[in-house]
Formats: sequence, structure tokens, C-alpha cells
Amino acid sequence: METKLLTEHYEKDEFRGLDGYKKNGGYEVLKKALKMQPQQIIDEVKASGLRGRGGAGFSTGTKWGFLPKNGEPRYLLCNADEGEPGTCKDRVMMERAPHQLIEGMIISGFAIGSHKGYIYIRGEYFYPRRVLEQAVKEAYAAGLLGKNILGSGFDFDLDVYSGAGAYICGEETALISSLEGKKGQPKLKPPFPAVQGYLRKPTIVNNVETLAAVVPIIRDGAAAYKKFGTEKSPGTKLFSLSGNVVKPGNYEIPLGTPLKDLIFKIGGGMKPGRKLKACIPGGSSAPVLTAEEVEKANLDYESIASLGSMLGSGAVIVIDDSQCMVDLLGVLMHFYSHESCGQCTPCREGTGWLNKIVHSILTGRGRLQDIDLLIKVADNMKGRTICALSDAAALPVLSFVSKFRDEFEYYVREGRSKVKGTSYAEMHH
Amino acid sequence: MPKCTINGKEIEVKDGTTIMEAMYQHGMRIAHYCYHPSLSIAGVCRLCMVEIEGNPRVQIACNTTVTEGMKINNTSQKVKDAVKWTLDFHLINHPLDCPVCDQAGECGLQDQYMEFGKYDPEMAEKKQKKHKVVDLGPTVVLDSERCILCSRCVRFTKEVSKTNELGIFNRGDRSEIGTYDGQPLNNKYSLNTVDICPVGALTSKDFRFRQRVWYLKEGETLCNGCSTGCSIKTYFNKEGFFRVKPVQNDKVNGYWMCDEGRDLYKFVNREARMLKGQKRSASGWEMMVPGAVAKDAAQVVKTAGQGLALVLTGQYTSEEYDAIINSFKNELKTTKIFHWNNNKETADQFDGLLIRGDKNPNTKGLIQAMQKHGVQTEWNQLIEGLKNGSITTVVVAGPENLMGYADYMEKVKLLSTAKNLIWMQSTKHQILDSLMGQVWLVPMKSYVEKEGTFVNYAGLEQKFKKVTTVVSEALTLTEAASVLSGQQIMVKPDTNVLIEANRSQDKVMMEHKKKNEFIFRRGPL
Repeated sequence: METKLLTEHYEKDEFRGLDGYKKNGGYEVLKKALKMQPQQIIDEVKASGLRGRGGAGFSTGTKWGFLPKNGEPRYLLCNADEGEPGTCKDRVMMERAPHQLIEGMIISGFAIGSHKGYIYIRGEYFYPRRVLEQAVKEAYAAGLLGKNILGSGFDFDLDVYSGAGAYICGEETALISSLEGKKGQPKLKPPFPAVQGYLRKPTIVNNVETLAAVVPIIRDGAAAYKKFGTEKSPGTKLFSLSGNVVKPGNYEIPLGTPLKDLIFKIGGGMKPGRKLKACIPGGSSAPVLTAEEVEKANLDYESIASLGSMLGSGAVIVIDDSQCMVDLLGVLMHFYSHESCGQCTPCREGTGWLNKIVHSILTGRGRLQDIDLLIKVADNMKGRTICALSDAAALPVLSFVSKFRDEFEYYVREGRSKVKGTSYAEMHH
Repeated sequence: MPKCTINGKEIEVKDGTTIMEAMYQHGMRIAHYCYHPSLSIAGVCRLCMVEIEGNPRVQIACNTTVTEGMKINNTSQKVKDAVKWTLDFHLINHPLDCPVCDQAGECGLQDQYMEFGKYDPEMAEKKQKKHKVVDLGPTVVLDSERCILCSRCVRFTKEVSKTNELGIFNRGDRSEIGTYDGQPLNNKYSLNTVDICPVGALTSKDFRFRQRVWYLKEGETLCNGCSTGCSIKTYFNKEGFFRVKPVQNDKVNGYWMCDEGRDLYKFVNREARMLKGQKRSASGWEMMVPGAVAKDAAQVVKTAGQGLALVLTGQYTSEEYDAIINSFKNELKTTKIFHWNNNKETADQFDGLLIRGDKNPNTKGLIQAMQKHGVQTEWNQLIEGLKNGSITTVVVAGPENLMGYADYMEKVKLLSTAKNLIWMQSTKHQILDSLMGQVWLVPMKSYVEKEGTFVNYAGLEQKFKKVTTVVSEALTLTEAASVLSGQQIMVKPDTNVLIEANRSQDKVMMEHKKKNEFIFRRGPL
């Protein structure tokens, strides 16, 4: 059930301001952390088993460990470019508890020896950006940011930087390019950002939720954090539940919670008269799960991976029996072909091709061999590019087509949706 | 020095070598578009995929450094399929308008399709529409639909010319190369972007639609545009020369050349050339074959005695200088040999990349030849001599490329004050036809029609070979020297510059035919 480790005080409006945040125990953890050794903090985070909450699920402590051990200047970037369709958890965290993120960033900055941090916030997030900027101002005024924080001798500066609304800028190296003032395009790896990132200096990029989760880890210790969740996926995570459920929204639950509990208990189940047909467990890039697979799935990295999907950003998109899978894939493919940065050929051309094939089928021009072609094209886009956008576009195709092939074949043969019984033009007036 | 195995062959490479470089060094074939040895790594075409043992995913060879014991191959079925598909991705939105595309015949897409592709395309959708015939600047035209977005041209303007005119605009399959507002692609090296463009997206305004490349023969030589001495390749057929491209030469020009140098083929084509020898006497102009006009001039040269002077420009080969100075000094017994230095003030200018202020390819060679023969003169002595009448007969080896000769008219006027003027030059010029007095005009061979040595600004001696013959009757400076002095010229046995047999008219014609055999054999094209 819901476990409010991060979101404990989110209901309170005062929690947004510095005073309210302090009243509810805010910045106490920072005081504690500044008295610790940086390495101790890194060890604690490593011991907690915290995994990146942005989508890849990579161990945060290990990532920090990749930084060179010399005194070279380094940057801490917060990835608040929450672009994955279905995901809206970071927005809530920034709107409701901006100081929690700032506190997490100061602690993390202290741990990795960085004196400059940026919050790269999604271009469309006007309001969260205003809230964050206000909070940063308050923190500076209170001596929590800037020189000699709380008399510890540690300096940390923080800026909020707004993106321009490109999905790809949520990819860490594209985010760095964008922050450098360049076109938001992923960079070749190696070198990895931890070695050569922002302005060619070692850089750590962490998700909003990851950085905020550092606060409870340092507050209660790694052992307390590990009590939640599973052995390999410890802690709690925010899930953005959307789709045709009774109570969509953001819920913080321990990792390992059964997916059906999230949908049917916390989310209140499907809307009256509707049945669960499929579910995308981790944002639109994750392969779709069928209703049977949902029964077996637990919301932790390993369980979802064993079903061939990804926990990703934790955006659970519930699809009911009134939805046409071909139509849905059309929406997704339009998104990816629109958002491909256009650098690598397989992705640039492949996403457009997939989009055109799906829309050919949708508009009644499809051929039966197009269904196999979708799979072939997607298969050959996978793992062939600089970043993961190509995979993100290919994986939904592969899962949609293989798991709901009957709907695709029906659509090609009849020129209309099997589920809705109508053509594309009728579906979208 | 890590050792690795590529396609079963064990090789050792320097630290930090990428797989791509290692394969290149060992002559192995690998598909690629965006990789260029003297540009940064972009890693975007995704064609140079290789399989590395222990790695489930194929990796790109251009950005993967060789490590000890690495086992690499690019011949497995997995790699072949991956390359084939990536090639297909390149081609799905490509217009495939090869019949009307200027790049056809030397196109990376065509070549690599034949080598790594050969599949049945499955693309049945409408192709992406992009801009056609985009005027990027004074020299280059872009066809965005043909572009495969390898970003070589963008990286060139960023890293080599450092002018940053080009960029990739828009995203996804709407991406297009373009220039920023009010900043056309206008730099002195802009045509290099056409060379490195692997497809027909960037084409040269000068060359486009003028010839199909398979009707052109190519020949390597040196650029005679300035004292840098870039290695170049010229493209020609029986209609003349059509374009010039750089050839890799790490000592001099790397992979590049300037736009100015690409125009130099125009000076060697028949339209720009002096085709017939001319003699002007009291009775007016008389047309002659070049050999005859030289022979005729030899009469006055022989009798000129101490009134004879020789003026040399820095546009001939070292061997020619040696021959003519030798015969003037030893046979005709004159030391009045002058260096026409056309750009004294700007000679040391350098733009930081290739272009130098001295617009002669062999100024150093001329100075060396004069020193070798102990000739030491000042230009003023010539002016003095012409004024006081002690110089009566002037033999001038004029420039073939008049671009750098701003003082040309002025010098012609000055030199024509001599009683007898023997002007040897490969290009024609109006002012020469309007000369009065006793004048002999001797057509010369241009730099693509002879072999020899240029010594560049740094003293680097570069030998080059004859490309073809344009004006078969024209003389080289060596031949002219021989005729003027009426003597055989002493040449070292290792320099085969003087072709004695060629002096006969028939034999020159024979040689012309032999060299252009491919044209005659091929018949009308």
C-alpha cells in the first residue's frame, strides 16, 4: 500500500515554502550530512541500493563512483526534463516539495564534491519552474545555498535552467548538450558524462526523484531504506497511474508491490463497465503487458524485466478493452518520429518509417506484409544508435504487434478497428 | 601497443587507435559515411558496425578504441544484416534520382549499395519531401532530399574552415542541412564540402551538369595557384579540363584545397590558350607554328649579344629553369636574367590553412636555379637597361595563371619598350595582340602538360607527372631554350624532361594521340 517516505507532507501547502519545509523537519538532514565525510554519504547511498528513478534504474552510488578521484571541478545536474509520455511524478515533487529536491541536491553535491548544480527543467513546466526558482531564492537568502553553507565551509550554487520542450533532452548527454547551449542531441559515448560531461568536466546527471530520495536515505540510514522494496530494488517509488482507472494519479509505493494492487486497489480499479486489456508499466517506451501478464507483474525492476518490459520512469498506463491497439501505436509512433533528434540514421529514418507504416494501416492502405515489416524495421533499429530513443520507439512496436497481432491483421483486412469497429477517420473526426 | 584480431588477422596497433583506423591501416573494407579521417567523430551514420567478441550488440568501429586481445569482425552474417538494414534506412527517403544526379558514378550510396547492400527494398510509403536546389552560397548548391545527414560538411565548416556557416536544422526525418539567416556558405574553402559529401546533396555550381563523371579521366598533379603546392587531381576528357579536386598529402594540404585553386583548370583549356605562334614585324602579324616562331626568334636572340635579357616568372618547373638559365648563360653568354617578382609585398601572407600570398608555385625553385648558376640581378637593372638602350632583346617566360599578376599590363608595357620582344606564355591575353614593334609570341605548355618539380614555400621539392596534352604544338620552356640557343641542352640523366624526339611536329601529334588513346578508342560518347 502507499508508503509515504518522500511524499509524507505533500498534502500541506506550507511544505512548498522554506518555513513550512523546515517546520516539517526540512534541512535537518542537510545539517547531519554536512558533518559526515563525503565518502560516507556515497557509501550510504550505495548501501541503500538506490537505483536511478529516471528510467534506466542504474545504481546511483555506483554512478557516483565513476567520477574521477581528483579535484577536477565537476557538476551535478538534476534531470527534471520529465518527457516520457505518461510520467508526471517529478512535476508533483517540484511543485509540492521544491526544497526537498534542493536539499537532496546539496547533499549529493557535497558527497561528490561538486560546487555547482543545475536543475534542467522541462520547457512546458512553467509553474513548477516558478516554484523552484522561488525556492532557490529562499534557500540562497537563508544561507542554504551559496558560500559556506550552514557554516560548514562547503559552497554550492544552484541554477534552474529551462529546456525548450524536446523529449530527447531527457537523455542525459542530450541534456548536457542543451545545457551547453547546443542543439539538444545525445553525444557519443565514450566518453561518459562522469568522465567528460557538461563543459567537458565530470558530470553527474540524476533524476529529481533520485536526488530527493537521498534525503530520507541519509536521514534514516541505508538499512531503514532497504526495509522497503525488494532485495534488488529497494525503497519506495512514485508511480504515475493513468488511463481508464477510477483514481488516476501519483502514488508512492514500495517497489515490488504487485501491479494489480496499484491498478485495482490503490487506483480503484477500472472505470465501471470496462475491463483491463493491457498495461504499459514504465512510460510509453516500455513494452506493453497483457492483462494476464499484469496479474504476474510486481512493480520492481527485476519482475517487470522478467516479463520482457521495463519499469522505466514508473508511468503505469492502463489500457482498457475499449482501446484500439493499432490506433494507440499510431499515437506513439507519431510521438517518436516527431521527437527523434535526427542524428543517427536508423532512428531518424526508422521512426518516420514506422510512423508511416502504422498510419498506412490506420488509413486503410495497409498490406498484410506491413505487419511483419513493422517488426523487421523495429528489430533493426534496436541497439544501433547513440542513445536509447531508437529502442524506445522499437520496443512498443515489437510488443504491440506480437501481443495484439489479431487487431493489426483485422485492421489491415477490414480497414477498420477490431475493437471500435470504426475507421481512423471516424475515430478521429 | 595493443594486439587485436580483425577478421581473423592478428594485428598490432598504436595505443588509442580506433577499430576504423586499424582496419584502414591494414587495408580492410568497412562501410561508412560520416567518418572522415581529418574530421571529428560523429558516429551517426551507423554503418561501420563491427561485432566484438563478448559484446552482444554490434558496435561502431569509428568510436571504439582497440583494446588488448579484442576479437573483431565485420564479415559475420549479423554484421552484414545490420549494415544492409542501415543502408536501407539511408535509402528509404533518398530520391534515387541517380540518372539526373551529378554524383552518380562517384556516389557513396551507389558504391556501398553495390558492395554491402544489394537487397530488395521494402519501403512502400511516400518519401519525405525536403527542399531541392537550395542556394547555399556562391559556390555550392544543396539538394536536401539526397542528403544522408552524415554531418561531414557541418563539421568541416566548424573544424577546418572555422567559419561555422552550416548547421542541421529541424529534427528527425525532417532534418536538413542549411545556413543561418544572412550567412551564406561563402568561404575560401567551401568546395571541400562538395568533395567530402558522400552523396549528391552538395554539388559545385561550377561543375554541376557539365559532365558525367564516367566520361572524365583523371590525372594527378600539383596545384600551381600559390606557393603551398597542394596535391591535386584533375578531371578531363577530349573537350578539356572540367574540375580539380584535392588529393591527400599529409605533408602539404592534408585532404583539402582552396576554391581558388579549383578554378585553375580554366587556364589550361584551349579557350584560354595561345594556340598559334605569332610574329609581328613591320608588315603586321604573321601566324606560325610555335616551333617555327621560336626558330625565327632565335635569329635575333643569337645576334643580340650583350643586349639580350631573360625575364622569368615563378610558374615553371625547376628543370625548365635549369635548362633555360644554362643555355642563356653558357650558350648565349648573357647573365641578364631577371626574376619577375609579381607579389613582393604580399608573398609572405598566409591565411592559416593553405592559401599563401605568393601566387607562384615555384618561386623557390627559380631562386634556387638562379643561385645555382650564380645569377644575381636586380629588377632595376632591367629597367635601367631598357631605358638606356643597352638591352635590346628581351625573352620573357610569362605567367600561365594571370590571377596573381596584378602588374601584368604594366610589365608588358615596360618590356615592350625593348626593340625585340620574345614573349613565351601559355595563356592568351589581349594586350599581347596589341603590341607594336618586333614581337614574337611563343605558345607554351601549361603545367598539366609537362612533368617536373615545384619547390614550395617550405622548400619541399615535389615532382609531378604529365596529365595530358591540350595544345600539342606548344613548347616547354626547356624546348624553347633549346630552340632559341640552337643547341642541345645539357640535362642530367635522371631528369627526363627534354623529350628530344617530341620536337618534331609529327611526333608531338603522335604523342598527343597516344596519350588520349582512351578517347579515340571509346569513340563518340
